[in-house]
Amino acid sequence: MHRVLGDRRAILILLGPALLVYTLIMLVPMVWSLGYSFTKGNSIEGFTGSGLDNFTRLLDDPAVHEALWFTLKYAVIVTAGQVVAGYLLALLYVFFLKKASALVRTLVFFPVILPTVAVGLLFQKLFQVAPQPGPVNSLLNAIGLESIDFFGNAGSAFWVLIIMDIWRSMGFYAVLLFAGLMDIPDEVLESARLDGASGPRLIRHIVLPLSLPVLLSSLIFSVNGTLKVFDSVVALTNGGPGTGTTPLTLYMFQSSFTYSEYGYGSTIALLLTVVCLLVSLAVYRVSRRDNTES
Amino acid sequence: MPHRTIRARRLALAPAGVLSLALVATACGGSGGGTSAAPKDFTYLSVTENTTTRTALTTLSTSACKAENDALPLKVETIPQAQLDQKLQLLAGQDALPGMFAAGNAPALTKQLAKGGKVADIELELERLGVLDQLEPAAVSTIKALYGGKLMALPYEYNIEGIFYNKKLFQEDGIAVPGTWDELLAAADKLNAKGIQPFSASGAQGWPLTRLISGYLYRSLGPDALDLVDAGTARLTDPEYVKAAEEVAALGKKGYFGKGVGSIDYDTAMNQFLTGKSGMFYMGSWALANIADPKQNKIGTENVGFMPFPAVKGGKGSIDQYPSNIGLAVAFGSKTFDDKTGAWVGCIAENFGSTALKDHGTITGFKVNTPVKDSSEVAGTVRKTISGSKQNVLWFEALFSTKATTLSNTSAPGLVNGSVSPQKFMETVQAALGSQ
Amino acid sequence: MAIDTLPKTTGTGRGRPKQPPLRAARKAGGRLWLRLAVALLLVIEVYPLIWMFLTSLKSNGDYLDNSTWSLPTTWEWGNYTEAWTTGNIGLYVKNSLLAVVPALALILLLGTAAGFALQIMVWKGRGLTLLVFLAGMMIPPQMILLPLFTLYFQTGLSGTLWPLILTYTGTGLPLTVFMMATYYRTVPRELLEAATVAGAGILRAFWTISLPVVRNALLTVGLVQFFFIWNDLLIALTFTNSQDLRTIQVGLLNFTGDFGATQYGPLFAAICINVFGTLLIYLFLNQKVMKGLTSGAVKG
Repeated sequence: MHRVLGDRRAILILLGPALLVYTLIMLVPMVWSLGYSFTKGNSIEGFTGSGLDNFTRLLDDPAVHEALWFTLKYAVIVTAGQVVAGYLLALLYVFFLKKASALVRTLVFFPVILPTVAVGLLFQKLFQVAPQPGPVNSLLNAIGLESIDFFGNAGSAFWVLIIMDIWRSMGFYAVLLFAGLMDIPDEVLESARLDGASGPRLIRHIVLPLSLPVLLSSLIFSVNGTLKVFDSVVALTNGGPGTGTTPLTLYMFQSSFTYSEYGYGSTIALLLTVVCLLVSLAVYRVSRRDNTES
Repeated sequence: MPHRTIRARRLALAPAGVLSLALVATACGGSGGGTSAAPKDFTYLSVTENTTTRTALTTLSTSACKAENDALPLKVETIPQAQLDQKLQLLAGQDALPGMFAAGNAPALTKQLAKGGKVADIELELERLGVLDQLEPAAVSTIKALYGGKLMALPYEYNIEGIFYNKKLFQEDGIAVPGTWDELLAAADKLNAKGIQPFSASGAQGWPLTRLISGYLYRSLGPDALDLVDAGTARLTDPEYVKAAEEVAALGKKGYFGKGVGSIDYDTAMNQFLTGKSGMFYMGSWALANIADPKQNKIGTENVGFMPFPAVKGGKGSIDQYPSNIGLAVAFGSKTFDDKTGAWVGCIAENFGSTALKDHGTITGFKVNTPVKDSSEVAGTVRKTISGSKQNVLWFEALFSTKATTLSNTSAPGLVNGSVSPQKFMETVQAALGSQ
Repeated sequence: MAIDTLPKTTGTGRGRPKQPPLRAARKAGGRLWLRLAVALLLVIEVYPLIWMFLTSLKSNGDYLDNSTWSLPTTWEWGNYTEAWTTGNIGLYVKNSLLAVVPALALILLLGTAAGFALQIMVWKGRGLTLLVFLAGMMIPPQMILLPLFTLYFQTGLSGTLWPLILTYTGTGLPLTVFMMATYYRTVPRELLEAATVAGAGILRAFWTISLPVVRNALLTVGLVQFFFIWNDLLIALTFTNSQDLRTIQVGLLNFTGDFGATQYGPLFAAICINVFGTLLIYLFLNQKVMKGLTSGAVKG
C-alpha cells in the first residue's frame, strides 16, 4: 500500500525544484560564506587564508560578547513578550470578543504590515525628548516626573526597542494562536465547564494544555526571528548609542560591508547560526516529545 | 540520542560536498563578467541623497558637453548613502565598478580601492588632457591630504566648515564674536543664562559633535594633529588629545546642546538654529542653501554670521585654517577609463564650476569661468573665505578606518550626555584604529 | 508549524454553534476592566495610523517645530504629489509586484510540493531532508549576500528582477516547507491512498485532493510570506543596481538628502500610500483567510 507513496519519480518531481532552489540560494552561499571565515580581506583586496585567526579573535572580541549578550537578552524578552501578548490577545478574541473580534483582530494585526522605516520613525517620535517632548515624556511630565532621554543610554533604548517589536508583532502571533484556539473542541470546554471549571481555571487546566503544541511552534518561529533581528534595530537606533543596541546581525553586517572584514563577518554569522541551531533544536526536541505524548 | 548524533554528523558532511561544488562553480564562472570591454555609457553611481552633482551633470550633458555625451551617453544610477560601502565592495569584487562613482563614506574605502588598482589616477588624466589648472589649488590640496598625496577624486563640491551664529541674539546679549575657545564658552554661558540653547547639533548624525573635537585639536595641537595619529606617532588616548574630548564633553555637561542631543537629527538641529532657538551651529558651507531658503530660515539671512572655529590659548593652530572637504568624493573606475571618458572629464573640468554655482549655488573645487553674484552677505563671506584660504585642515574622522569612523560617530552622543567618559570615548576610537 | 492543529478544524470546529464560555463572567457587569483594556488596545493600535496620516500632511517646518501630535498648521496635500513623483511610486509598486508575486507563487507551489513529499510520501532520508530545510531558518540572510551577488553577476542575472525573485523564493522556502509539512501531518494518508486506488496518480492526488485540504494553510502561509517579502529592504537594496528596478521600500529612502536632511512630509505621504495599499490587500485576503478558517468548508 505504501508503494504509491514511495514513488521515487513523484518524490523527485515534488521535492526536486524546492530542494534545487533552496540549495542554490541558501545552502551553497552559506557554505561558501563559511569558507570565508578562514580568510581575511574583502572582495576589493582579495582574500587570503588566515587559518583560525578569526575564531580566536571572535572569542576575545568584547564587541562580540556585547552583541551576543544583547541578542540573547533581546530574543528571550521579545519572544516571551510576543508569544504571551499574542496568546492573551487570542484568548481575548475567542472568549471575550467572539464574533466581534474580526475588527479588533484586523486592527491589532495592522502594525505587522507597516514598513520598518515608518515604525522606527514613529517610535523615535513617541519617545523623543527634544525638540518637543514626545507623548511618552509628556505623560511622564503630567504625572510629575522628569523627561527621560530614552535614546541617550543603551538601557532605556533597549526597552523602547522591546516595546516596539512586541507592539509590531503581537497581532501576528495573536492570529496564529487564535487559529489554534479555534480548534479546541467545544465539547471539551463544555464538559470542563460542567465539571465546575471556569474563568482562569478553565484556561489554565484545559485551554493552555490543549494549545501547547501551537504555543511551542510559535516559540520556535518567534525565537528564530528575534535572534536574527536586524531591520528594527537599524530603523530605531542603528545600534546606538555607541554600540549599546548592536545585535550580532548588525555587527556582522558592519564587519563585512562597512569595515571591509568579510571573513570576520562570516565568522560572526557562523556563531549566530550555531546559536539559532542550538536554541531551535532545544525547542524542537521539547515540542516533539510533547507531540508523541499527546 | 546516539542516533541523533549520527544524523548530525551526516548533516555536517553534506555541506562539505556542496562546498567543493560551489568552488567548481566559481572557477568556471570566473571569466563570465566581461568587464574588459569598452563601456557603452558614462555611468555615474551617485548617492540618492546628493542631487546637485547629478543634476548639474545632466545639464552639462545637454549643453556644454553634448558632443561628449553623444559619444558616451551619461547614465546616472543612485544608491542610498547607507548602502554605498556595501555596493562598492560587491561591485569591486566583480571588477564592475562604474565609470564614475561616489567614493565610500570614509576615504579609507577609496584608498583600499586604489590599492587594488581599481581607481583611476585623475591627476595623470587631467594633466594629459591639459585641464589640471581648472581645479582650485585649495581643493587639490584637500583631496591630496585625504588620499595620501594622490588626486583620486574630483571636487564636485568644496566646503569649508565653521560656526554659524545668530547675529541678533549675539547683539541683544552684547556678545562679541568669540575669537578664542574661552570666549566661546563665555558666549555660550551668556546665551544659556538667557534661556537660549547655545549650540544646536545633530547627535543622531554624530559627526557635528566630533567636528568640535577635531576643531579643538587643530587649534591646540596644530594642523597636523590628526596626521600624527594616522602615522601612529600620537595616540588619541594621549592626554593632550583626551583634553579635546573633555572640552566637548564639558559643553554637553553644561547642557549647551539642549536635551536628548543623541536623537536630534540633522533637520532638527538646522531648524533649531534657523528658527532662533539656538545661538550657534557648527556646520559646513553647504548650509548656505538652507540659510538662503526663506521657508526654512525664519531669522533672516542678514542675521546669520559665520566665524572660524576659535583659537585655543597657547595652541599651535591658527583660526584661518578651516576644516574643508569635497562633500562625498567622486572617483573614477580605472578599468573603464578610456578616451571617451577622458573627453567627459575634460569637459567637466572646464564647465562644471560655473554650472553648479549658477544653477545650484554650490561652491565647487573647479574654477568658475563666468562671474556669479552672491545670494547674501553670509554667502559672500564664506565664498571669500574659501578663495582666500591658504592652509586648510580636515576633520576628525578623515583619516580613520571605516570602523573607527562609525564608532566615533555613534559614540559621540554618549560623550556629550555623559554616559561615555572622554577617556573611554578616545579609547574606543583608538582601539578601532588599531585593529585594522 | 504554528498552526499545528489548525487543519483539525476540519473535523471538529465547523458549524459549531457559537458557544458562550465564561457566560457567568460576562453577565457580571460585562467586565468593565476588560472593555477598558480593549479600548486602550485599540488606541495603541490606531493612533499610529492617524499620526502617520497627519504627519503626511505637514510641512517640514511644521513637523520639526510643533508637537508631534498637533494637527498640521497648513494641510500640505502637495506632499502626496511630491511623494508620487520623488518616490517614483508608480514604477516602484510595479517592480515590487513583479518581484513579489512570482516569488510568492514559487514559494507556495514549491514549498507545498516539498512539504507534501516530506510528510505524506514515504522514503528514506526524509527526516534528514526536513532538517536540512529547517536549518535554512537559522541562516542569517546577511550572510548569503556576497556569494549570491557573485552568483547573479556571473550568470548575468544582475540588472533584472530575477535576483530578487530567486532570493525571496530561496529564503522563503524553509519556513514554508516546514509549515506545510506540519499541516500535512494532520491530513490522513488514507485519504490520498484511496484516491490513488481509484486510479489517479499520486501527483494528481497531490494537486486535486491534497491542495484543497490545505487551502487555508496556503492562504495563511502566503499572507505571512507576502508581508515578509513586501517589507524587505536588505535584499532589494543589495540586488537592484538600477533605479528602474527599485522596489517600493527602497523608494522610501529617496526622501533623505545630503548630510542627513529628510523631507518628512513627502516621506510619510509615500509611507501612507504604501501602507494603505497593503492594508487593502490585507483586508481582502484577511476576509478570505478568516472565512476559510471559520467556515471549514473542507471535507473531513
